Amino acid sequence: MNLRNDHVTGGALIAAGLIVWALSADLPTGRLSMPGAGMMPKLLCVLIVFFGIALLLRAKESPLLSTVEWADIRHAGPVIAITAAAAALYSTLGFVITMTLLLFALLCFERRNLVAAAIYSIGISVATYALFTIVLKTPLDQGLLPI
Amino acid sequence: MESTLDSLLLGFSVALRPDVLWYAFLGCIVGTLVGVLPGIGPLSGISILLPVTFGLDATKAIVMLAGIYYGSQYGGSTTSILMRIPGEAASVMTCIDGYAMAQKGRAGAALCIAAVGSWIAGTFGVLMLTLIAPPLATFALRFGPPEYTALLVLGLIFLAYMSSTSLPRTLLMATIGLLLGTIGIDSMTGHFRYSFDIAELGDGLGIVPVAVGLFGLGEILSTPSADVVGRVMTPKLRELLPSWAEWRESAFPIARGSVLGFLIGLTPGSAHIISSFLSYALERRLSRHPEQFGKGAVAGVAGPESANNSASTGAFVPMLALGLPTGPVVAVLMAALLVHGVPPGPQLVSEHPDIFWGFIASMYVGNVMLLALNLPLVGLFVNVLRIPYVYLYPLVIMFCVIGVYAVNNSIIDVWIMLIMGVFGYLLRKFNFDPAPLVLGLVISPTFEMSLRQSLVMSNGNWTIFFQRPISAVLLAISVSLLLLSAVSMLRQRKDWRTKLAEAEAGEPSP
Repeated sequence: MNLRNDHVTGGALIAAGLIVWALSADLPTGRLSMPGAGMMPKLLCVLIVFFGIALLLRAKESPLLSTVEWADIRHAGPVIAITAAAAALYSTLGFVITMTLLLFALLCFERRNLVAAAIYSIGISVATYALFTIVLKTPLDQGLLPI
Repeated sequence: MESTLDSLLLGFSVALRPDVLWYAFLGCIVGTLVGVLPGIGPLSGISILLPVTFGLDATKAIVMLAGIYYGSQYGGSTTSILMRIPGEAASVMTCIDGYAMAQKGRAGAALCIAAVGSWIAGTFGVLMLTLIAPPLATFALRFGPPEYTALLVLGLIFLAYMSSTSLPRTLLMATIGLLLGTIGIDSMTGHFRYSFDIAELGDGLGIVPVAVGLFGLGEILSTPSADVVGRVMTPKLRELLPSWAEWRESAFPIARGSVLGFLIGLTPGSAHIISSFLSYALERRLSRHPEQFGKGAVAGVAGPESANNSASTGAFVPMLALGLPTGPVVAVLMAALLVHGVPPGPQLVSEHPDIFWGFIASMYVGNVMLLALNLPLVGLFVNVLRIPYVYLYPLVIMFCVIGVYAVNNSIIDVWIMLIMGVFGYLLRKFNFDPAPLVLGLVISPTFEMSLRQSLVMSNGNWTIFFQRPISAVLLAISVSLLLLSAVSMLRQRKDWRTKLAEAEAGEPSP
């Protein structure tokens, strides 16, 4: 059998629906006259499983899984990793240092000139910090940098 | 009518205050830039700038954010005409004949027709909004929980019906959005749902991290920098005036696009995108020279551009009058009003007339501003495209992080944005539209509350939805739409939605 897109998405959705149902086990469903906190989520889980089955049944109309283009993962992967690192460091390092590192890392990944990348990253981070804290009165984290 | 005029005068007294004018101007400028830049849509633009409005009062905040929304519709046409790159999705149809006109040396005329058409349609949309929203809000005061439940069901079904992806895919996305909306404390019983001992999740998933992740970051992840190449063509000011024949050819398409766009704007879904497609199809059908479409037909620019602007304004009617978001952008605008303690809906007109009418009046002013800005400054806006994408997208990521973090000063929100970005990237790969998910997330609390309240007030009798006339009619319309979709699916017919999907993907439609 040739695996198609909707075989994967349908299967994943059925699994997701069942997992969320299991996670909802401790939520009271209540009665129809007094619905509990679990009624709506469980109803939605049933719908997700139902739509997952509908996708599986019509999967032959979807493109072959092998035709999905994944070339852009070489761009998406590093961007996700760099942004995740920035999110992890933000509370400790603060806005200016984290954003300088984020911009610099992304530009290095794009093979820009290192000096130009450094100047751009520092300039943009400091200017944005000033814009938000001074002009827009929206405080951003100082972190390690005593500004 | 007299009271409407009095209220509108009150609105103008608010909208013409220098401080409100300044924020309308700022919104229009930012919106035009957002529309010009590929990869940043109005949704990410508004979401990123939402925290900036926290220090403002509700009127200035909504005036600025709405300026970004309709400004982006104006700006989107610029790159479509000059570079054949739609700055945002609603400008896809303008690419076809707009760029063909530019190739013939009529870029200036195409830009002028697009701007004037947008202005006329935008003003028409606001005029209709002025006339329709207040009586609709008065009518909606009769709505109780069963009517709201039925209205939201109809909204979701209509969204699925109008969607260019299939019915199950759209409803599935909306269901996932509804499910994500249940995360947090249950407001009726106080139970924590799916918060996994993370305190921040107790308040539920914010719309901003989800929207910025799905649309802002998701778009960047799917767009490798090597794929973005741009040659910038800058028309001179004296080339902007269309000829008399071009004006004549554009008059009726602008009028038709304005009416069609407004009507479609009232319905849930990506109305501004659908309206531009339908307007293009309508103009080609009505044209005496359909063979000119695709080769620089003036009507192919005037119609879709007018329709998408009118639709953007039409989308405010259900939001302001019923508190019902018809698309993700309007949902974020609703969230902005809620952040300022102003719930949109039937009570908005009576309880906050200064905000309601000030907002409407500011749209009249904003449309004039955009016309005045867009034509003389087109060269300036186009120059923004000279910034290489490799320098631009890291900047957008930085603004995504700031925008999301600043809403609650919560790094958890940044993680949610990142997860949603990856999810949005995967959804694109598997041909799912993320817009219904955002819509489901926004309406989830209202939907759940009204459904449960209806069941409680009827002592568990679910036929309450059919016993009350308004909800019965709304549900009957929902069932009819489902049946229409089912018939279309069973016959495997290629209807306008399939053609829209093909047009969005850039495939020809026989």
